[in-house]
Amino acid sequence: MNRILVFQDTEHIENTIDLLAVAEKMYAEEPFESYALVIAGSDSSDSTGGPSAANGPAGPLTGFFQKVIQLSHEIVEPHDQIGICEVLTELQKEYKFDAILVPATPFGRMIAPRLAKRLHTGIVADVTDIRQKDGRVEIIRPAYSGRIMAAIVTRGSGPVMMSVRPGVFKYSDGGGVDTEVSEYNRPVEAHSSLKPLEVKEKKISYDIRESDILISGGGGVLRNFAGLEHLAEALQGRVSASRKIVDRGIAPRSIQVGQSGRTVSPRLYIALGINGAIQHVEGMQNIESIIAVNTNRNAPICSLSDIVVEGDAMEFIDKLTDRIEAFRKGAQE
Amino acid sequence: MNIICVVKIVPDVDSFAYDYENNTLIRENIRMILNPDDACALACALKVKAGRPDCSIEVVTMGPKAVKPHMEDLLRLDADRGTIISDPAYRGSDTYVTSRILARYLSTRQFDVLLTGSHALDGDTSHVPAQLGEELDLEQMSGITAVDFERFDSRRAVFEVEYESSVVTWEMALPAILSLDRESGYTLPYVKYEDFQRDVSGKLTIIGNPELGFEPGEVGSDGSLTEVVRTYTQRFETRERRIVRNDDAGIEDVFNFLLEKGFL
Repeated sequence: MNRILVFQDTEHIENTIDLLAVAEKMYAEEPFESYALVIAGSDSSDSTGGPSAANGPAGPLTGFFQKVIQLSHEIVEPHDQIGICEVLTELQKEYKFDAILVPATPFGRMIAPRLAKRLHTGIVADVTDIRQKDGRVEIIRPAYSGRIMAAIVTRGSGPVMMSVRPGVFKYSDGGGVDTEVSEYNRPVEAHSSLKPLEVKEKKISYDIRESDILISGGGGVLRNFAGLEHLAEALQGRVSASRKIVDRGIAPRSIQVGQSGRTVSPRLYIALGINGAIQHVEGMQNIESIIAVNTNRNAPICSLSDIVVEGDAMEFIDKLTDRIEAFRKGAQE
Repeated sequence: MNIICVVKIVPDVDSFAYDYENNTLIRENIRMILNPDDACALACALKVKAGRPDCSIEVVTMGPKAVKPHMEDLLRLDADRGTIISDPAYRGSDTYVTSRILARYLSTRQFDVLLTGSHALDGDTSHVPAQLGEELDLEQMSGITAVDFERFDSRRAVFEVEYESSVVTWEMALPAILSLDRESGYTLPYVKYEDFQRDVSGKLTIIGNPELGFEPGEVGSDGSLTEVVRTYTQRFETRERRIVRNDDAGIEDVFNFLLEKGFL
């Protein structure tokens, strides 16, 4: 039976489960054995991503993976890529996994290629799809900032390795698997010299991937980006941005949609003054409804939309916000 | 202090256009540029060097010989030495092989730190810095958004990395590989007017497989552990768009749409 190892998503541990969807696509109908490696305490993660002390780091993965191997920070610090690479190498020697899947978080993207090199195996980065073609598994990833998709096969005798783009694969099975939790307790010889000196929390407090409604702004709303908040409030959604806004320093990278930002799948996406460069559209996945507001009805994003409002985005925000508020007021009376 | 910047000349993918109606990529007349993150790495090296007469910078790249004019421009800044690793046998090398080739050259050089970019515009695997780290037995850090120049010497570096909800200041022992992010905002100075035509050929070396000595099957696509079997442009699902005006009737249309779909 095929055996896979999933390395923990260091930002949002529950997203580790989504990588089971990758394995399902790789092995089609065949069953596979699933292992996960989780690390206790993770300083490169945000407050939602760190494992909860109450139920142990394996907590959220229980019921999804057959085996969860916990790595205590007394053995390896969560940011110690050298130590963790050694642990993964030891696990590979012991269990001979057919595939090792790593979420493409900043930490995952550093550790995965290093591990692949150590295991002398090929690795594919930032994977967005898996396809079966002519009896083999093709690993799909975007290249040239999402302008081209490349289908890749790996060679060599080692495990198939990839880092997987967060937010693209969704594992929807309910769980209910018997999970065996164990501790990794062998000594680790090599360690990183890395020391955290200071941690500053950033003020942005929401995750655009978790919102059902996104009000997204691009080059057309450069001067009035803050105005998007009114419509977001009226619709109880969140504000997101295109790269143009982020590159100008108007919004933080954490709310950027696109290839170099986040992949989002809200139910409703309102694109205000967004042209729709492919690197932006690449970050819009499985969206139920798209409304584009643009002065140019031929802007690329308009072809992808359900409704195109031809005109000024700020004027649109004011009018629609008023209309929604009038409706809400009417409903209350 | 010896700094080596490992850089790549890439197609300027932002100048690609895409036709969604016909699902085709327009790829004519693409210009080549120094990868933006790599430009930050070199700009960072130049900042370290400023005011330190004992500091030297070498710029190393792998690619076709056609990158020579780009490298010459970098040498017209304050870089001391440039090396192009170029050999037809290396064509088609994946990151596994590329990092091996670079490592073989770099292991012949004395350096305190390797500076690279974090992401490249073309492949964007971010594999080479990490794999170079494994090859050379060095630590590596990606996504660096600021370097503390006061605490940067041949022994250790202090720098910031920006994460989803925090900014962490790290200290790392050198030698190591530090990979800069575009967010750092370090920009290269312009080449001075009087230097436009300056002859820098004495500072530039081109080496190939005769110097590095790989066996034929070890490099290029034959030596690679990944193979791109096909490429295609993604098909985007176009929708039956309804075009409305930004007037009362248009707003009413949008409002009703939101109501019907249950967004209100």
